[in-house]
Amino acid sequence: MGLAGYLGKRAVRLVLSLIAVSMLTFTLLQLAPGNFADLQRVNSGATNFGGVGTESMVGELESRYGADVPVWKQYLIFMKGAVVWDFGPSYKYASRNVQDIIAEAFPVSATLALLAVLLALLIAVPIGVFAALRQNTKTDHATMFAVTLGHALPSYLTAAFMILLFSATLKLLPSGGWNGPEDLILPVLALSLGPAAVLARYVRSSMLETLREEYVTAALAKGGPRRTVIIRHALRNSLIPLVTVAGPLLAALMTGTVFVEALLRIPGLGLYFANAAASRDMPLLMGTAMFFALILMVTNLVVDLIYGLLDPRIRTVGGGSHDGH
Amino acid sequence: MSEGALLSVRELRTTFRRDGAEPLTAVDGVSFDVRRGQALAIVGESGSGKSVTMRSVMGILPRTARITGGQALFAGRDLLAIGDKELRKVRGREIAMVFQSAMEAMNPTLTLERQLTEHLLWHGICTKAEARKRAVRALGDVGIPDPEKRIRTYPFQLSGGMRQRAMIAMAMVTEPALLIADEPTTAVDVTVQRQILDLLAELKNRGTGVIMITHDLGVARYFCDDAVVMYAGRVVERAPMGRLLDDPRHPYSVGLLGSGVEVGGRDLPLRPIPGSPPDLSHRPEGCPFHPRCAQAELPRCATEQEILTIGPGRDAACWKVAVDA
Repeated sequence: MGLAGYLGKRAVRLVLSLIAVSMLTFTLLQLAPGNFADLQRVNSGATNFGGVGTESMVGELESRYGADVPVWKQYLIFMKGAVVWDFGPSYKYASRNVQDIIAEAFPVSATLALLAVLLALLIAVPIGVFAALRQNTKTDHATMFAVTLGHALPSYLTAAFMILLFSATLKLLPSGGWNGPEDLILPVLALSLGPAAVLARYVRSSMLETLREEYVTAALAKGGPRRTVIIRHALRNSLIPLVTVAGPLLAALMTGTVFVEALLRIPGLGLYFANAAASRDMPLLMGTAMFFALILMVTNLVVDLIYGLLDPRIRTVGGGSHDGH
Repeated sequence: MSEGALLSVRELRTTFRRDGAEPLTAVDGVSFDVRRGQALAIVGESGSGKSVTMRSVMGILPRTARITGGQALFAGRDLLAIGDKELRKVRGREIAMVFQSAMEAMNPTLTLERQLTEHLLWHGICTKAEARKRAVRALGDVGIPDPEKRIRTYPFQLSGGMRQRAMIAMAMVTEPALLIADEPTTAVDVTVQRQILDLLAELKNRGTGVIMITHDLGVARYFCDDAVVMYAGRVVERAPMGRLLDDPRHPYSVGLLGSGVEVGGRDLPLRPIPGSPPDLSHRPEGCPFHPRCAQAELPRCATEQEILTIGPGRDAACWKVAVDA
């Protein structure tokens, strides 16, 4: 099976998964108490939760948001648009189409995510290697203790703390907003610490495993300088499995981070997603949910492709050139 | 040190650090010589310290190990005293090592070219282009067909026998004076075993000193000139290969011969040695073999062990040898 066949198979799986995700999200949304019309009514003060609104108002809202159409038809109408990347206007942000909101907010979240994962890797790899090379020493234990702390610290707490420190006290950085590169620093820092901790642990254990491999000893036996052997033979091979951890991490951050975006007033996807869920904004919720699923699956595909690129044993599976066994 | 010895190991002692316990002595006063163009077999069961002995000489012990005494004279220098920087120049250049399984001792993600040339470059032996030529030649020398093409493949793309040959080529590409082969035939098929042994014999005939670490006397007798029998970290008998096979003196050597299938073509009934090798943390006092020895005389065997010279190039660590002789 060639690469094209492989990609084709993955594409079919991707489409099927997207359909499943859309059905599931839609069903859950229908099962959730309340709908957009109700919530609007309550929020606008036309009625209260226990009470009943005027008939005309209920009717008007219901027809506007399609509640008078059978549920299955609502789904089909939505999906008909979704196939051509048209999710229709948002309920809550009525002047804008969902796909436009995604197109505007996604680059913001993606930029943050890429920078955060990059920074996390830059922090995690040296720390993980450092700890692995000093396995079971006090340095190793101290490092891993600090890493556990970093892992346990939620990003919104880090963000809040950094706002206090860098913005309120030191007055070095803006406390939020999305205007210039200086606005990137706090959210990227806040978002990278947790992933850095996760990745550092992973690098350490992966590195320990690789260092025990006979080919590392064999490379030393060939007279390799310790540093070269560690980098070329041990580190290289221990970083390959890291791709499978870093990929999903990146996808998770790319689809938006509700707390950090809210705290630092960043117009990212996470905020829209949270608002859509809270207000039962069907098109926005469906659109973002399907978009997240798409991002996740594309990331996984990319991870698998990179894995094959890095590990020749995987690359040739299927197209193999084995000459024995 | 005997005249003309290539490597002369004297009273080597290696210990392993343990948590909350006394260090474990894995190699306890081991001495032997190997000459240019000669092959020495270090024979013993697993755990007898034969691999640790050679890894001590190469300076590739795990971190928990420490060499606590002895000398390893090679080309007039004590390898145990020259420090890692100097030892690194010898390692892989003048003394090379072949491991049990090329599957494990070769890096799965690097091509043969990379792995066969990197140490030529580390040692500054030649340029990159020249290194490639030498690597191709080395692959051809060990009988790998179409080496120009093979050099671009990864170890897993070769059959078991080819892979084992490639590892030997990797060791021989720097034209070392001494080759240490650590159980080089244990992990391969019987048919391949013979080919590997022929290859090692050929290297010996071309003037390379060979140290063959093995648990299998049948393998050792194939081309080794001398043998050292190890038990529980100590040398129990040292003899020319033929003499050891015809007339083993130490009761352990006798047992080892009796337990091997078809050694020296003699069809003797199999007689396994009763008991099992001692746990090194509870090494018996005196002769470590006495609890399993049918001829042990207490209390003398449990208190002292004497090394007796019993002929030219022959000694045995058993005082009873002198009485019997």
